[in-house]
Amino acid sequence: MNLHNFLYGVYPYIALSVFLLGSILRFDREQYTWKSDSSQLLSKGNLRVSSNLFHIGVLAIFGGHAVGLLTPHGWFTALGVSDMAHQMVAIWAGTIFGLLALTGGAMLWLRRMFNARVSAVSRRTDKFILSWLLLTLILGLSTIPVSIGHANEGNPGVMIALAEWVQSIVYLHPNPALLAEVDTIFKVHLFFGMTVFLVFPFTRMVHVWSAPFGYLGRPYQIVRSKRSFR
Amino acid sequence: MSHFLDRLKFFDKVKETFSNGHGIVTNEDRQWEDAYRHRWQHDKVVRSTHGVNCTGGCSWKIFVKNGLVSFEMQQTDYPRTRDDLPDHEPRGCQRGASFSWYLYSPHRIKHPMIRGRLLDLYRAERKSGKDPVEAWAAIQADEKKRKQYTAVRGLGGFVRTSWEEVTEIIAAANVHTINKWGPDRIYGFSPIPAMSMISYAAGSRYLSMIGGACGSFYDWYCDLPAASPQTWGEQTDVPESADWYNSTYIIITGANLPMTRTPDAHFASEVRYKGAKIVAMAPDYAEFCKFSDLWMPIRQGTDSAAFLAMGHVALKEYYIDRQDPYFQEYARKYTDLPMQVMLRQHGDAWVSDRFLRASDFDGALGETNNPDWKTIVYDEASRSFVAPNGSIGFRWGEDGKWNLLPKNAATQAEIVAELSCIGDHAEVASVGFPHFNQDEDELLFRNVPVRKVKLASGEEALVASVFDLQVAQYGIDRGLGGGNVAQSYADADVAYTPAWAEKVTGVKAADIERTGREFAYNASKTKGKSMVIMGAAINHWYHNDLAYRSIMNLLHMCGCVGQTGGGWAHYVGQEKLRPQAGWAPIAFGLDWQRPPRHMNSTSYWYFHTDQWRYETVKADDLLSPAGKGKYKGYSLADYNVAATRMGWLPSMPHWNANPLNLVAEAEKAGATDEAGIAQHVVDKLQNGELDVSFADVDNPVNWPRNLIVWRANLIGTSAKGHEYFLKHLLGAQNGVLQEGGAGRDNQEVKWHENAPTAKLDLMVDINFRLNSTGAYSDIILPTATWYEKNDLNTTDMHPFIHPLSEAVSPGWESKSDWQIFKSIAKAFSTLAEKHLGTKKDLVALPMQHDSAAELAQPFGYVTDWKKEGIAPVPGKTMPILKVVERDYANTYKKFIALGPLMTKLGNNIKGIDWNTEQEYEELKKCNYTVKEPGISFGMPSLEEDIGVCDAVMRMAPETNGEVAHKSWSALSKKTGIDHHHLYAGRHEDKITFKDIQAQPRKIITAPTWSGIESETVSYTAGYTNIHEHIPFRTLTGRAHFYQDHEWMLDFGEGFCAYRGPLDMKAQNTVPAAVRAKPHLVLSWITPHSKWGIHSSYQDTLRMLTLFRGGPYVWLSETDAQSIGIQDNDWVEAVNANGATMARAVVSQRVPRGMAMMYHAQEKNVNVPGSVSTNKRGGILNSVTRVIVKPTNMIGGYAQLSYSFNYYGTVGCQRDEQVVLHKVEDQDIDWLERELTPEREAQLNPVGVGSR
Repeated sequence: MNLHNFLYGVYPYIALSVFLLGSILRFDREQYTWKSDSSQLLSKGNLRVSSNLFHIGVLAIFGGHAVGLLTPHGWFTALGVSDMAHQMVAIWAGTIFGLLALTGGAMLWLRRMFNARVSAVSRRTDKFILSWLLLTLILGLSTIPVSIGHANEGNPGVMIALAEWVQSIVYLHPNPALLAEVDTIFKVHLFFGMTVFLVFPFTRMVHVWSAPFGYLGRPYQIVRSKRSFR
Repeated sequence: MSHFLDRLKFFDKVKETFSNGHGIVTNEDRQWEDAYRHRWQHDKVVRSTHGVNCTGGCSWKIFVKNGLVSFEMQQTDYPRTRDDLPDHEPRGCQRGASFSWYLYSPHRIKHPMIRGRLLDLYRAERKSGKDPVEAWAAIQADEKKRKQYTAVRGLGGFVRTSWEEVTEIIAAANVHTINKWGPDRIYGFSPIPAMSMISYAAGSRYLSMIGGACGSFYDWYCDLPAASPQTWGEQTDVPESADWYNSTYIIITGANLPMTRTPDAHFASEVRYKGAKIVAMAPDYAEFCKFSDLWMPIRQGTDSAAFLAMGHVALKEYYIDRQDPYFQEYARKYTDLPMQVMLRQHGDAWVSDRFLRASDFDGALGETNNPDWKTIVYDEASRSFVAPNGSIGFRWGEDGKWNLLPKNAATQAEIVAELSCIGDHAEVASVGFPHFNQDEDELLFRNVPVRKVKLASGEEALVASVFDLQVAQYGIDRGLGGGNVAQSYADADVAYTPAWAEKVTGVKAADIERTGREFAYNASKTKGKSMVIMGAAINHWYHNDLAYRSIMNLLHMCGCVGQTGGGWAHYVGQEKLRPQAGWAPIAFGLDWQRPPRHMNSTSYWYFHTDQWRYETVKADDLLSPAGKGKYKGYSLADYNVAATRMGWLPSMPHWNANPLNLVAEAEKAGATDEAGIAQHVVDKLQNGELDVSFADVDNPVNWPRNLIVWRANLIGTSAKGHEYFLKHLLGAQNGVLQEGGAGRDNQEVKWHENAPTAKLDLMVDINFRLNSTGAYSDIILPTATWYEKNDLNTTDMHPFIHPLSEAVSPGWESKSDWQIFKSIAKAFSTLAEKHLGTKKDLVALPMQHDSAAELAQPFGYVTDWKKEGIAPVPGKTMPILKVVERDYANTYKKFIALGPLMTKLGNNIKGIDWNTEQEYEELKKCNYTVKEPGISFGMPSLEEDIGVCDAVMRMAPETNGEVAHKSWSALSKKTGIDHHHLYAGRHEDKITFKDIQAQPRKIITAPTWSGIESETVSYTAGYTNIHEHIPFRTLTGRAHFYQDHEWMLDFGEGFCAYRGPLDMKAQNTVPAAVRAKPHLVLSWITPHSKWGIHSSYQDTLRMLTLFRGGPYVWLSETDAQSIGIQDNDWVEAVNANGATMARAVVSQRVPRGMAMMYHAQEKNVNVPGSVSTNKRGGILNSVTRVIVKPTNMIGGYAQLSYSFNYYGTVGCQRDEQVVLHKVEDQDIDWLERELTPEREAQLNPVGVGSR
């Protein structure tokens, strides 16, 4: 097995296993560490702008990746979305939200590194994960010129190959060969992206699992009963 | 089971709905709640308290979980007060609640530690075959070796050692010192026994047994109000806080109730709801000012001027303009106002001299016993001079007349003591009153009504009552003509009118006048329920005794002292050691040998840290022209030498010779008994072969050699003149910025051109926290915290006795103080067997207050045998000499048993004796007996801490009704009045340690104290003096307005006069770099802080987090602005004494002209190097130097006699001024560098030499 096959055939499963099992174990065993570790109390600064920019950008990108990569090719065509249209949406949405996330993320990164109070309370993992996310983001943005090149050539092949590769992973038929001809920048970006999943349970990233969407539909009053309903 | 699985119930989450779907019922996992339950779950709750000189003395629940203390909480089970009085609860403050942090904090001392270099030296000597004592001697004999470890004191370098090794080293040092220099070169310093009595007693018992000296603390801390012994012959007695509630008018000055009396402050706010008026006096807007109806922002250090002016108003309106019947009766019976004073010719006029005595009259008015000590009043009934009951002459040598009943002692006929002879007088004399206000006359002549009296000698003398003199001294016009009397309150030229006081204090005359009038009016209506709550802030000035006397005068004029809800309420610390009588025998080893060695620490440190060499205050400048001035030209230190020579004050060491050798020498020369040995010493003193140690204090023969500090932070907080301690006593890196020179002019103290450094061979610190004292010690021993030992605790603020309890066993290798000193005693005994054996020691004891020796020097005339070239007489003109046999090898066996003198000699306190045989037998059963064969076999055991607690309580009248009965019986005999009703209801009570662990117990009324425990009145000072007619323990038996000792008159303090702050001149010597830049010259005020001291320490993490995280100085906004200081900037305070660094707190609260650095801010957290000294930036006392006051040295004269922590010099430091300047952030140097040989050699700041 060469490195390519390991990275794009085995590593995704390692990353996803650690991500899922790690998250479950941490949730079960370390309830008190399950939190976002907000440092807003120590330094407000431009947090309202930077945090929102970052989170809007990142969440949109995450959604974009999920829809774009996990939707079977047939569905797009069935819906009348041409490959080129898909490519253009990916490029534009990626650029816009990527830049939002990059702006917010850079501001957060500067604050995390150079605000004395915030820096003092930061763990090494806090500094690491933010830096890693930013690198992944920059790598992702760096793929856009290449994608534009593909688009200009009218060639959605790379995009389709990437989606098929992701789906091959999900279908448990890993096919690293799909990535053989893809530009290196994509591969590096993929490696960084997978690594985010790998380290996810060991960082503050776990707060993603507990996004408080429940509040949107929550009744006014919740009573936790001592009675057994079984 | 699993948080994750439990949550996978998306469709089954809602069990029921209610309120139309606005509410839902779920059965979500509730395990998370357990976290909060576990936080407060515990295995046991133990009652303990905090032994940190906190007047709160609160009872606490200590919660223990898994063998660790998890938290503490206030106890709420105090016995109720009574129906019309609020209860004591809640007691306990945030500082106390944070103490458990220390048990497991990084400051905790976990193992015995020793300076690495010393250990290397010691081990090397031991390896070469020497035994421990020889090894120690070898290190001390080699100047180079000694310097190796002394020069790095304060610079870290500690290593771990074992208990066996470390106790051996301490014991070896003690044995060597006793042999080579004398036992009185070993000194122990530990303060405030009341905060943990057994722990104090541990060290003092060990030291007393080996002949070491215990240093006083109350006077050294400057918390002792010298005015109290002067006025009442009482160290200090004050009302419990509940008594504030009985008051209807309160003036508060110098005591910050909500901050330093937190658990008691509620009584002050509650009494306002009852309608009491509260007046606050403070230069800054201190926390207590918010309680008040009126805040008088008074210039710092001028308090007495304001109180004298209030006295002026009260005296004029309630004694002269009209005669208030209650005040008249009180003044006649309980004060010295009717006492007759002789006048002495002074130029064309007169000055006040000594009290008239029975012995001045023909036939001594029939008095044969002590007629020199019986003062005289004029009886209105018989129209003659009589000696009334109660003066000190009746206290000793006879029974039954020492009481305050208004009777002629000779006939026991009722008398009416006359206050003033103004309606009846033959003459008016012009009397000069000493006065000290700048730019005003030094002697103010005023007309006083006088009588002529024919003396036994045939001469005629002029006499006046204290009252008539006192009225004149207040500047009140009585229509007798003459000058210096006020035409009105608005007369600003005459002291002590309100207008004059406004000039001095800055307080509006109208406010002073109104407050004085209201105070007296209220007292007149309520029979004395006017109160002054006062404290350290005004007691730390050089002339603190006058500040306090000005208040006491006002209180006595208004009949407040001894009345519930009235009187003085002086609070500084936990000075009330309630079971004192039961404790003292154990603490000072009186059960095995008497007397112990005691020393007044202020004089001790003033001399041994060589602060006298730098003295800027000239005693001559303090003298009054009205005095005889026999000692003109003497320095403050010279006065102290004279005082030790005359047996007034103690001295340690006693003489420039080893007292063991003196006895051996005397015996060799043929002396067979104590008298013979004493005579030998007297001869040597007289022919100059021997002298008191202070006369040549820098001679190595007279150096202190071993110092043990426990329960204290001597170096880090209480070392006034901290840098001098470092320089001379310890030989460490120091910041003294000047060289001494003033001491060269001394007449009695020998000057050595090069000042000694590193006088101490060994300094041991026993603590659970590494503070600055530990940092400068050679050995640090780990002790148990307040939650890890069994001990006793009492305070003056409430009447309960509390235990400290061992909630968890002492952490790591620590042990309780009792066990530590027990192990030192054991190691000592082993080495002593070979090197010491049994020795006879000679103890020089000053004439003690509350003993017949207080009648040593009649009339207050000074008999200085050395100056006058006459033979000294022990007990009269020099110290009492007592031979004490020390069986050194049996020190340990004696330590662990209650010794035989308790049955042979019994027990005593404050001049009354009783028998303790019954208690001794009971203790054999209660504590069991010592099983170890030897000298103490079969005696009551003191091996365990709880046994010691029970022994104390069994022998004290406060905790054993039977002992109360015996002691009151003894006093009843003396006074001739039956006092038994005071304790009768509790005759059968015996309080044990287990009792007080179950619930706080109220103590039993005892003759040790002047207040009573009762169902009808709160505890208040002086109550039994007024209501039981027990005399104050003074010359006249009454409260004194007047002091007639020669030295008092020399210094112009016969009557209370206003004396302002001194100019210490230290602010004139600062580095040129500081002088060249913008700076402020500020008064250096060091009050108590909000976040530390008394109930915790300043370095607790939580408290540091609450405020600035390190040292800070409060400044006025305007002052700060004037030199560009912003809040939180670094500043340096510097003067000749040294420098200290801190952050500036800029506040409107502080007036211009003063800097406030809270007490107990020390060197161990966030202290950078000082820019002026280049040494670690100092503590609050780095810029101070202690000064001694000659009038506080007086001895052998009734209430002006020495007793431990009772009278003597007090460590005042508040008159100091500093130069304060801003330090830029980039100039902050944390001194975190390697110790190079150059750095090690540079002990002094660059440019400061060896003087």
